Amino acid sequence: MQPKGFERALGVGELLSGIARETLAAELGRALGRPISVTTPSGETLLGEPAEPGETVRRVPLRYDLEVVGYLQASACDEGRLRALGGILELFFLASARYFLASELHQEVVQADFHELAHKHQLLAHSEARYKALAAELEARVQEQVGLIEHTQRQLYQAEKMASVGQLAAGVAHEINNPLGFIRSNLNTARSYVETLETFGRTLKTQGVPQASAWVEADLDFVLDDFRALLAESLAGAERVARIVADLKGFSAVDQAGEASVDLNEQLRSVGDIAATQFRGRAELVLDLGPLPAVRCQPGQLNQVFLNLMLNAIQAMEGRGQIRIATDVRDHQIRVRIADTGRGIPEDILPRIFEPFFTTREVGQGTGLGLTVSRDIVVAHGGRIEVESRVGAGTTFTVWLPIGPD
Amino acid sequence: MAECDEVSRKITIKLVYYGPALSGKTTNLMRLHDLLAPDLKGQIMALETHDDRTLFFDLLPLGFRTPSDWLIKFKLYTVPGQVVHDATRKAVLSRADGVVFVADSQRSQGLNNSESFQNLEDNARRVGLAFERLPLVVQFNKRDLPDIVSEEQMRARWGATPWPLTFACALSGPGVAQTFRSLADAVYPHLDERFGLGARHGVGPDAFVSAVMGEAANAA
Repeated sequence: MQPKGFERALGVGELLSGIARETLAAELGRALGRPISVTTPSGETLLGEPAEPGETVRRVPLRYDLEVVGYLQASACDEGRLRALGGILELFFLASARYFLASELHQEVVQADFHELAHKHQLLAHSEARYKALAAELEARVQEQVGLIEHTQRQLYQAEKMASVGQLAAGVAHEINNPLGFIRSNLNTARSYVETLETFGRTLKTQGVPQASAWVEADLDFVLDDFRALLAESLAGAERVARIVADLKGFSAVDQAGEASVDLNEQLRSVGDIAATQFRGRAELVLDLGPLPAVRCQPGQLNQVFLNLMLNAIQAMEGRGQIRIATDVRDHQIRVRIADTGRGIPEDILPRIFEPFFTTREVGQGTGLGLTVSRDIVVAHGGRIEVESRVGAGTTFTVWLPIGPD
Repeated sequence: MAECDEVSRKITIKLVYYGPALSGKTTNLMRLHDLLAPDLKGQIMALETHDDRTLFFDLLPLGFRTPSDWLIKFKLYTVPGQVVHDATRKAVLSRADGVVFVADSQRSQGLNNSESFQNLEDNARRVGLAFERLPLVVQFNKRDLPDIVSEEQMRARWGATPWPLTFACALSGPGVAQTFRSLADAVYPHLDERFGLGARHGVGPDAFVSAVMGEAANAA
């Protein structure tokens, strides 16, 4: 195996490269006083003129790296001087070799560095491509997860809506059942009164002008009085049912995404009516509603917020208390305050109440989403929701909503 | 890897002085040039920067002729110790037949020594040398300095390794020839196996070492 690059053996030709050969030969010749020549070990002349055939030629070996790489020769010359010139040439060789080795090795090192860089570059390009693919894949997966989360969130919000509406349904059913009961009872009585009047009419037809005793006997004074009263009572009951149905209709807008310009005071009154059955026996509802400009909003959604806050207030009651709903305009915003005199929220829990699924109620009693949904709705309207609470004294939720430009 | 040229009848052996920067590799070569007297001894060729730090390598050629009239040529190289010249170190180390690791004995140099030794092991593998089989001598240099790790400690630390340990002061000479002798001893069996130094060329292990160090000539 022959070593390559900087380790390869150098011939005298390479060792003389970079030196002006004619000048060198001429100067060496002048120093010796005779023309000189330099040959390779195999006799090829590299410097000067080949000796004439038949001439007596002296020659001295030229060494580099321990080996003879050529000969310096001249005819009829002083041998000592020839040796001295040979020594000088060998020094030339060393200098040339030094340059040669350095440049060869430099070349090798540069090549090696270049190959290594090219290799690294290739690896980097490869890993860059992989990361790009990975990033794209991650993006797709994040999108997928976001989709899933949004879907789940919608389901949970729906569930929360159903839970608060469901809580209402029982109360509303009771509220409607009550007037329906007495209206039915009244109508039954009315039917018997109609029979009494029929009987009296028949007596009139068969006996001609009746005697006053027949009127009295049929107790028609009472019948007519009571008939009138029970009709009035039934009409009032029907009014009540009609009002409840009207309020519920406002609530059925929960699922409608329509925007409308509304007076929030009316919304609050309507929600208060709906929740009235829940208040009964537990809290007194006080409305302190200041004049408000109409706001463009999603009324169904805000109704849900107010209902949530009211139901929470009712549930916070220990014994009988008061729930006060106040509205006014502050700093060009609408302020709705729902304050209860309930048990209050402990300080350590207060920062967490808007967290999803945070609930202090028994399993199955609350979704833990009521306040989360409420806050999201208010924020979606460009507003904010604040809470203040003192244990034992009560809690106040304040909803701030921006007043539109018009 | 030593090279054998049947045409010009020579075997060229490459020995490399490796080690951390400024541990005295070039000084080892300069001292060897003074101390050794083989049949053939060339000039030291030094490729250094202006501040005397080795840039590419130093090279000292040594040689002798065998009874079979073959030329056995030794090329002693140093590598540049500075960390940045790693590609050069690799190029010089490649095809080496034996290595002297020149460590700096000063207490402060422990980390540099071990990093450089690790670098030697890594580069040996990279250039395709079987490090376990590579003839290697570890020289602790600069024994003349005051704050050095003691011989006992060095032997305790390195004693379990398979490599001969030597202690030297390259600046003044002690230990330098001994280090080279240990390496020549370690290299001989490999060369004998490959080229039949003993059987074909009539050079036994002792004659081999004496010839390259020039002791036979002195004795005669």
